[in-house]
Amino acid sequence: MNFSVVGGQFWSLMLSGLMLGLIYVLISLGYTMVYGVLRLINFANSEIFMVATFAAVWAETGLFHHPITSQPLHGFKLFYTFVATLIICMLASGLTAVVVEVVAYRRLRARGTNRLASLISAIGASIVLSESARILSHSRPQQSPRLLEKTSLGEFGGANLRVDTILVVVSALLLFFAVDRFVNKTRLGKALRAVSMSEENSKLMGINLNRVISIAFLIGGLLTGAAAFFFMTEYESTKYNVGFNLGLAAFTAAVLGGIGNLRGALYGGIALGLVEEFAAAVIGSQWKSVTVFVILVLVLLVKPNGLFGEAIQQSRV
Amino acid sequence: MSEKLIELNNVTMQFGGVRALDEVNLHVNKGEICALIGPNGAGKTTIFNVITGVYQLTSGSISFQGSDLKGLKRNIITKRGIARTFQNVRLFGDMTALENVITASDVHKKSGLLGALFGTPRSRREERESKARAHELLEFLGIDHRADQLGKNLPYGDQRRLEIARALGTEPKLLLLDEPAAGFNPAEKKALAETILKIRDRGYTVLLIEHDMSLIMGISDRVIVLDFGQKIADDLPRNVQNDPKVIAAYLGVPADAS
Amino acid sequence: MINLRDKGADLWEGWNRPKRITFVFALLVVISLLPFAGNFSFSSFLNTPSASYQDVLVYPIGMFILMALGLNIVVGKSGLLDLGYVAFFAIGAYTDAILTTKTHLNTWQVMPIGIALAMLSGVLLGLPTLRLRGDYLAIVTLGFGEIVRIVILNSSITGGTNGVASIPNPPSVLGQKLDLNHSVNFFWIVLVMILLVIWMIRRFTVRRPGRAWEAIRQDEDVAILMGVPILRYKIWSFSIGAAIGGAAGVIFAAKVLVIAPDMFTFNVSVLILSCVVFGGMGNIWGVVFGATMLAYVPQRIRFITNARELVFGLVLIIVMNLRPDGILPRKKREKLSARKEKSA
Repeated sequence: MNFSVVGGQFWSLMLSGLMLGLIYVLISLGYTMVYGVLRLINFANSEIFMVATFAAVWAETGLFHHPITSQPLHGFKLFYTFVATLIICMLASGLTAVVVEVVAYRRLRARGTNRLASLISAIGASIVLSESARILSHSRPQQSPRLLEKTSLGEFGGANLRVDTILVVVSALLLFFAVDRFVNKTRLGKALRAVSMSEENSKLMGINLNRVISIAFLIGGLLTGAAAFFFMTEYESTKYNVGFNLGLAAFTAAVLGGIGNLRGALYGGIALGLVEEFAAAVIGSQWKSVTVFVILVLVLLVKPNGLFGEAIQQSRV
Repeated sequence: MSEKLIELNNVTMQFGGVRALDEVNLHVNKGEICALIGPNGAGKTTIFNVITGVYQLTSGSISFQGSDLKGLKRNIITKRGIARTFQNVRLFGDMTALENVITASDVHKKSGLLGALFGTPRSRREERESKARAHELLEFLGIDHRADQLGKNLPYGDQRRLEIARALGTEPKLLLLDEPAAGFNPAEKKALAETILKIRDRGYTVLLIEHDMSLIMGISDRVIVLDFGQKIADDLPRNVQNDPKVIAAYLGVPADAS
Repeated sequence: MINLRDKGADLWEGWNRPKRITFVFALLVVISLLPFAGNFSFSSFLNTPSASYQDVLVYPIGMFILMALGLNIVVGKSGLLDLGYVAFFAIGAYTDAILTTKTHLNTWQVMPIGIALAMLSGVLLGLPTLRLRGDYLAIVTLGFGEIVRIVILNSSITGGTNGVASIPNPPSVLGQKLDLNHSVNFFWIVLVMILLVIWMIRRFTVRRPGRAWEAIRQDEDVAILMGVPILRYKIWSFSIGAAIGGAAGVIFAAKVLVIAPDMFTFNVSVLILSCVVFGGMGNIWGVVFGATMLAYVPQRIRFITNARELVFGLVLIIVMNLRPDGILPRKKREKLSARKEKSA
């Protein structure tokens, strides 16, 4: 235990915690969107994230011919590589999410089989994705090249305000509020909320259930893809099993905020990112995922509805 | 006067902004068949759910055989002697009719895992007894010929009967029947009425929710009427039938409701 | 769709006692002679190309069957999705590894300790989490499996990344040596354990615990209203499953002599789950069949070995979508008498 680091690095930990937290927020929206309409955890979400990190490496090195060894980009080339890679990542995982829904969930839903079957099928999808990536990448980590120079914009209380960190924080927040507006203001968003309240009634109201569920998966996937892109900009390395810990953490964030609740995911994600960074500084980074797990169990025990959520385990009689 | 088996005192159940039960007072006497009626959404099934511990009361108390049920787990309430059926049949579909009843009768068994593993004399005896009793209950409801069929394969009427047999399997003192005649034809309703009377004659107390007035008037000793979560009548069947408040509730007349 | 299990059950029901005893006896003899099948030309097709056939019979086949039977109590019988089953296997294996290398206890003396520790951790994990609904339980157990691995990886007593080496073999049983050159004896030991577990599960299933689990699986809200103490039976289910996983772990460590954290990853949990799902959730014979196939086929057909997990993932999706009850489904039949009644 080393509490003294907290004092010295307080703002620096706050900043890295905030950034990590925002990445969690975007991934946890993947869980939350799907949970909202299906009342099921999308077990494959962590692999949907992984797919997008691989897409980022492929786009940057393969598509834009920007090898690992090369210098950071500047000017227009930086701009279009950045934006295009972001879009490619989002599309890659958005598409994967939709395919997962069709392959692993749709048929089971149509037949009305129990939840256990859907869960197992989703786990199957998750394994197929991560194992395919493992075989294709020969279990080797994939490096992504540096896109933008990580110059410092200044310092704040000992925290280094790097341009990439700021960029990630700002873009993640923008994306979050865009989705929040979408769900609350648009017609489609209202359909999503209607389905999450009552599947039966929304069917009676003429909502096309399959379409709405696909859209929930798509949006969740797009956001998870964006998270993957920001993750790669920041950490620049991925592996076939990268989604495992991140997925567990993002899920914890979703539960912390109350799964199915967008704003909750925002607060939950940031809170978890901060706790994780501080805990890593105090008790050592190898215990990061243990911390996350303990938080998950505690939340489920003490306040299973999360801090902002709806009841997740009411009995239905 | 007769002894009160269960008594609800000022029971209130609030769901968010909705008051499903509002200061309800009611009781059921030992050995009586008591009917609970009221328009849809009046809070009838909610009464069953608070009695069986599915919902925690917002306020008020329930006493059963003189002791408070507050905070008891659902399975303990069943063990104390309250059993129920469900409005939409909820059998264990992948178990046979016999197993459905035996599962319920397990509540009073003393032998557990180790008994089962080593086949202790007590475990064997309990298994034998509960099997015999389950057959007897199925026989009583006239469905013993279905004993080895899976719950989900039974015809609808037999599923409803099996639910009653299963509830009786827990040896309840109070039996809660939630619309037992739903979907029945007149002949079946008549048979059901006789069954309920027979159940009472065996010493069980019955509280039932039902919509079929002729069934209720034929068998109940007392009728309690709920409307919008409040008790509006509690009297002999023929008095309730003529109660203007009750008629108004069913026709939706009162000004504050429409 | 044809239900092979029902066919078998009908056949069995039609037999008288001597016929049944003869059948079981003959089956046991054939199974216990399996390790020698590789030596005869007519059965040598069973031989595995890359590993010793006799070893394959112990691990993965025997171990997978044992663990799948344990997980089946949790997932198949009680409907609780446990994604961290590997944790109990690891606890058993490390208990054996540490105690036999650091104390004078031998494998058989460690066995009850390993089982007890696995059960205890099952109870500790179960108490808080088994109140939760299905998908939460799944993710918490998944996390638990990973935590156990991380703890093992970062502790000194477990040897960290290097694991524990030179674990002693178990002492001889009935004069039969248990070491590297006597895989056959290990096979028989594992076979006896499997038979014990099957006996135990059958005892549970026909009596109160089996009904309680079945009721919980089908509708836990109704189960508790019918007086089933669901938390208690869930914890029993969880800890019995854990105990079997722990026992498998003890034997595993004693057989392979060297264990390391990377043998206890999430993949193992998934492999065992696949065995249960593939063969038929809730049905002992289905699970035995599923575990045998999924353990043996990748060993026999070499090109699958690298893509083993991939194949297992596909198995999960395909089986759930096309045949959610597995190859040999759980009991769907009604007794012959009941069916006759219906058709009459």
